[in-house]
Amino acid sequence: MNTIHDDNIDALLRQSFDGPVPDAGFSERVMQQLPPRRRPSTWPLAAGVVVGAVLCLLSLHTSPLWRAGWHGWLVGEWSSSTIITLSMMAGMSLLALGWTLAEADDH
Amino acid sequence: MADSAAEARIDQALVARALLGDDRRAFEQLVRRHQGMVRAQLCRLLHGDAAAADDLAQETFLLAWRKLDQFRSEARFSTWLHRIAYACFLQACRTKSWAARHAQDDGMEHLPAPARAMDLQLDLARAMRHLSTAEQAVLLHCVQLGMSHDEAAYVLAMPLGTVKTHATRGKAKLKTWLAAWHGAANEERVP
Repeated sequence: MNTIHDDNIDALLRQSFDGPVPDAGFSERVMQQLPPRRRPSTWPLAAGVVVGAVLCLLSLHTSPLWRAGWHGWLVGEWSSSTIITLSMMAGMSLLALGWTLAEADDH
Repeated sequence: MADSAAEARIDQALVARALLGDDRRAFEQLVRRHQGMVRAQLCRLLHGDAAAADDLAQETFLLAWRKLDQFRSEARFSTWLHRIAYACFLQACRTKSWAARHAQDDGMEHLPAPARAMDLQLDLARAMRHLSTAEQAVLLHCVQLGMSHDEAAYVLAMPLGTVKTHATRGKAKLKTWLAAWHGAANEERVP
């Protein structure tokens, strides 16, 4: 039976492949064309953090829960408002930490 | 396997140096390490048009430099580069129609009986050109560039099952078209 096996086809294809092309000045030409790297600007992130913090403070400033929690924390009294406020802050901090670690891991 | 893992680690270290210290010499090392295979890949995709392949390879490395911070270690650096190169090739095909320039309309039911061993390579090259673009690309990456099916699927942005199907179909077509060579080889062996 006149059959060609897959291995024969693979071998033929590999034989017909010339392999890597010699450099012959290609890398130098590429390096001459390389543009300077643009640094990602950090001001949008910083501005976002500041604006977010200010808006958060403004919205919480008039909240009775925040006021009661803050007052309780200042006088050392562990009221439910204090515990809720501190738990929320701890939760937000943990989320930010997790996000930062995930980003650092990707890089 | 160990060599390939070591090579990947060297690439990762060079990428980190190029990114953190804006080290152009580290990137130059990456170019020197991978230019040969990227140019070979593009030269094959462009049916031997070396000048066009070099243009696209240059575009590939400039893109890689710009997008280096987007490189994630989910694939090897070489595989990531081949993926960019293939995307550049597809983009060039859309604008310059290499495929149409290299298209041939002669029949391929069965190639003629063999004359010399060298002719087999010529017939193979001719048969390869008659495969569909996807089949050619899959066989190039899986067999000639030595990638796994997973890596080829990543480079060609195809589902894994599609890559396997194209590989099987492509090889089956080549077997049919080159069957005359096998028959002739058997006849030569018979006294």
